[in-house]
Amino acid sequence: MSSVILTDSLTKQYGKKTVVDSLDLKVPARSIYGFLGPNGAGKSTTLKLLLGLIKPTEGNIRILGQKVTQKNRLNILAQTGSLIESPAYYGHLSGKENLRIICTLKNVPLRCIDQVLAIVRMTEQQNKKVSQYSLGMKQRLGLATALLGMPKLLLLDEPTNGLDPAGIQEMRELICSLPQKCNMTVVVSSHLLSEIDQMATHVGIIDQGQLIFQDTLSSLHEYSRSRIILRTNNDSAAMKVLKQSHIPAGWSENTLTLKVHQENRIADAVTLLVHAGIGIHRIYEQQMSLEDIFLHLTGKKVSL
Amino acid sequence: MMLSTLQRRLWAEQKKSKHRRIWLIPFAFFLFEALWMIWQFTSAHTEELTTGYLMLFYDLPIINTIIMPIMVAVIASRLCDMEIKGETLKLLYTLQEPESFFDCKYLAGAKYLFFFTAGHSILILASGRIFHFGYSLKISMLIEYLAVTLCTSLVLLALQQMMSLISNSQIMPLTVGLAGSFLGLFSLFFPAPLARLVIWGYFAAFPCVKMDWDRATRITEFYEVPFPLVGFLIFAVFGILLFIICRIIVTRKEI
Repeated sequence: MSSVILTDSLTKQYGKKTVVDSLDLKVPARSIYGFLGPNGAGKSTTLKLLLGLIKPTEGNIRILGQKVTQKNRLNILAQTGSLIESPAYYGHLSGKENLRIICTLKNVPLRCIDQVLAIVRMTEQQNKKVSQYSLGMKQRLGLATALLGMPKLLLLDEPTNGLDPAGIQEMRELICSLPQKCNMTVVVSSHLLSEIDQMATHVGIIDQGQLIFQDTLSSLHEYSRSRIILRTNNDSAAMKVLKQSHIPAGWSENTLTLKVHQENRIADAVTLLVHAGIGIHRIYEQQMSLEDIFLHLTGKKVSL
Repeated sequence: MMLSTLQRRLWAEQKKSKHRRIWLIPFAFFLFEALWMIWQFTSAHTEELTTGYLMLFYDLPIINTIIMPIMVAVIASRLCDMEIKGETLKLLYTLQEPESFFDCKYLAGAKYLFFFTAGHSILILASGRIFHFGYSLKISMLIEYLAVTLCTSLVLLALQQMMSLISNSQIMPLTVGLAGSFLGLFSLFFPAPLARLVIWGYFAAFPCVKMDWDRATRITEFYEVPFPLVGFLIFAVFGILLFIICRIIVTRKEI
């Protein structure tokens, strides 16, 4: 699968503070790339770097196969749509008038307006002043603006921010439908794991400006495979017995873990331990949540 | 119909101002000046009207010094605050170069100043006809007056636009416009080298008419002086440099 976005050692420093640190992003075509990280991790800065709104201190960016320079930036961005931080709009104009302005600037036919309004389900509110829109409607208008001209790449920064649960669900469904419906690649940033989990096909996790994980969502879920936890009266003896019998096991944080998942192998392990005179208090399956994975990757508790 | 990139951007700039009624600002100031002229000339003696044009070319630059900085600040603020309020720059800068955005915004504001200045010329010509000024109007004098008014207001527009685009609130640029109006007026009483530092006072810095007031007879006499063309050209060059500096400040600001 070819990459729509490729960055090479992308770095942004403000004075001595490194906000984005040697980022090597790889966003596959027609994927929904979830860009995940806690608040202040560098997500918005990265997206702004990709859009050329701020200049990188170091590194290169390739979008849709072309190296982004000051000269070709607008030509490349003509094939992208973006919604950064909060929707941009003229409150004194109607939704349709707002879209008309962007159509003119993008050099996109005005007939596209009806199409994007239908996609974001805003046809009925198109003639209302944007200042009278709810936040959810403004967010949908922002998405409609980004969709004008059906770009190949869509960059959405926290698109569900401030939306109510119904609005979040609606926005999520909308985003998930875009790769198939409009043949787009979508990069969506969020600080919410559950949100990315429900939308993304690929994930990049950023923390303190550094990319700490990048792969498919299913690879991330590999981390979350269940573990069998054993509570015994003598963990060290149990470890010894399991090791002698070549049954994979681990012991950390006062927890004995069986690294097998086949039921007969688990039964063998229990039989062995009982025969060795080790008392088993409890045996249970523990599922690692995405949050646990995140904490495991970042190595610390962060606000999510 | 195929439009060029510049035409499209200017058209978009025009559409952004829809429903904003920005034209009301120069129109209100224009009306104020028209009312002032009517009051001035209806209360004037017949012999004063003989030098009506000279009186206008002496008084109008002073009035402009008071009202134009405020008018320019309000126009720039009305045009720019919609971008700040709607946080549109992060979207617009992905569609056009920041420099082009600044230029188009500037031309949108300049349009009102062109109309206002054109309105001035009509007002001056109409005053002459209605109040039957004694001497005929010297076209060169009218052109010089309009050039100074337009050029000074365009220089101020660049400054006000820059402030309106880099400030999150429009209070600061509007306060600067208001303060500039007072400072410009006071600068007329400053020593010449100091007055040159106050750009708001440049509306009256290139006079083509001067006044002589006789304390004993209490008679005011207006007389023509040669237009300080070199000084004006130096100011115009300074204005271009100021525009470039303002543009750099706005476009270098990271979103």
